[in-house]
Amino acid sequence: MISNWIRNLLRGLSVTSMVFVFQACYGTPQDMKYDMYIEGVVKARATGDPIQGIRVSLTETDQYEFTDDRGVFSFYTDIATSYPILFEDEDGGQNGAFMTRDTVLDPENYTIFFEIALDRE
Amino acid sequence: MFEYFKNKLFRRFKNNEANIHELNYLFWECTMRCNLNCLHCGSDCSKNSSSDDMPLEDFLSALDTIEPKSDNFMVVLTGGEPLMRKDIEQCGREIRKHGARWSMVTNGYLYDQEKHNALLNAGMGALTISLDGLEESHNWLRNNKNSFARADNAISLARSSTRLNFDVVTCVNRKNIEELPLIYNYLLSKSVKAWRLFTIIPIGRAANNPELILTDQQFTEMLGFISRTRKLKTIDIKFSCEGYVGKFESKVRDSGFFCRAGINIGSVLIDGSISACPNIDRSFIQGNIYSDNLFEVWNKKFQMFRDRKWTKTGQCAGCKDYTDCQGNGMHLWHGDKENVLVCHNEKISN
Ligand code: SF4
Ligand code: SF4
Repeated sequence: MISNWIRNLLRGLSVTSMVFVFQACYGTPQDMKYDMYIEGVVKARATGDPIQGIRVSLTETDQYEFTDDRGVFSFYTDIATSYPILFEDEDGGQNGAFMTRDTVLDPENYTIFFEIALDRE
Repeated sequence: MFEYFKNKLFRRFKNNEANIHELNYLFWECTMRCNLNCLHCGSDCSKNSSSDDMPLEDFLSALDTIEPKSDNFMVVLTGGEPLMRKDIEQCGREIRKHGARWSMVTNGYLYDQEKHNALLNAGMGALTISLDGLEESHNWLRNNKNSFARADNAISLARSSTRLNFDVVTCVNRKNIEELPLIYNYLLSKSVKAWRLFTIIPIGRAANNPELILTDQQFTEMLGFISRTRKLKTIDIKFSCEGYVGKFESKVRDSGFFCRAGINIGSVLIDGSISACPNIDRSFIQGNIYSDNLFEVWNKKFQMFRDRKWTKTGQCAGCKDYTDCQGNGMHLWHGDKENVLVCHNEKISN
């Protein structure tokens, strides 16, 4: 389509390239798409049951999330070459007492799904 | 000569964008509740607004009609104050699951460490925080003695994130105009990278408060301040998209004036109405998500936004700048649409 052709041509010209990044008066800047989705399930190694209330944190950022009643956690985070993650049982014996564990994930694309098992204390 | 061709090319570009009308930026007015009671609030929202928040599922059904979504498509959560919604993180997560990115505009009052973490977890990619002056003038406009401290904390948190595209917006008025250099210093001290300035138009509560509206001379001074500060390259400062500013056009923004309302910008308002920017007069409403297919409305309606010849009326009719301005921002046309509410260019000329 001619309009799209013109658009691509104009996009290539530095004089107008900025105009594709815009914001309305009461709006925000553009999302620059610098994130990665990580989702996982935390289970007890001995029984395979999901564990609720585990604090899952990315050690190189301030981000953390707690597992829900299915043992699931998920978050979007910065794009990086590897993700050191820490799993801590912060609620004491409330959902069983488990040992702290850490792991490092390597991203292959923009989404990571994984499962991790914790040992009882 | 270069300017002449650049302007010609830019006009061509704008016409082309209107023809393609790719939806890139969808506002969702997700709540009308607000925790502040700002003097300039154009939408007259209040703590106990009578409109209920829009249920998330209703918005998601409308969002699902937009297929395919453009590469740059994003949802901008606005209000009211979006953080008044208890399910705001869930809203963000679901919007991502439905194939869109999202961002938010906030007054920062409820934006603490925990909220920051939860919103990042939910995939928020951009954020705008309102800051209308240093402590005294911000608190005056925001009508709350703690609002500056809260906004200041929100700015620190936003700044700590490496992936959040974040800016500060300042609503310039008679009380804070002299303070702009101080606000600038403050923002540099907070390592803020981007700062957007806009002015208040005489509608909503602002219409009855002359202290909020800049004089023509102050308006020109503000543009001069933006222009001078841009040359320093210390912060990405710009005038908002709100209006055409004639001889300042190339000096106060990255690109020329282009009101993209209804061309790239749409909105779903609190009652399901489909419009362009949320600050646009409700007489421009094009449909309602509760009775119409959002994307069909976007594709088939919105003619008033894409062909602006109708704005060649009132003072715009014989204007020599009409080709570049095209009747200014759509939010400046109200009621019978017989004349534009504000001509920014005229303020400069005076
Ligand atoms: S008179 Fe109308 S078209 Fe001319 S500069 Fe003012 S707002 Fe724009
Ligand atoms: S209607 Fe106003 S806020 Fe919206 S794009 Fe146009 S000038 Fe900007």
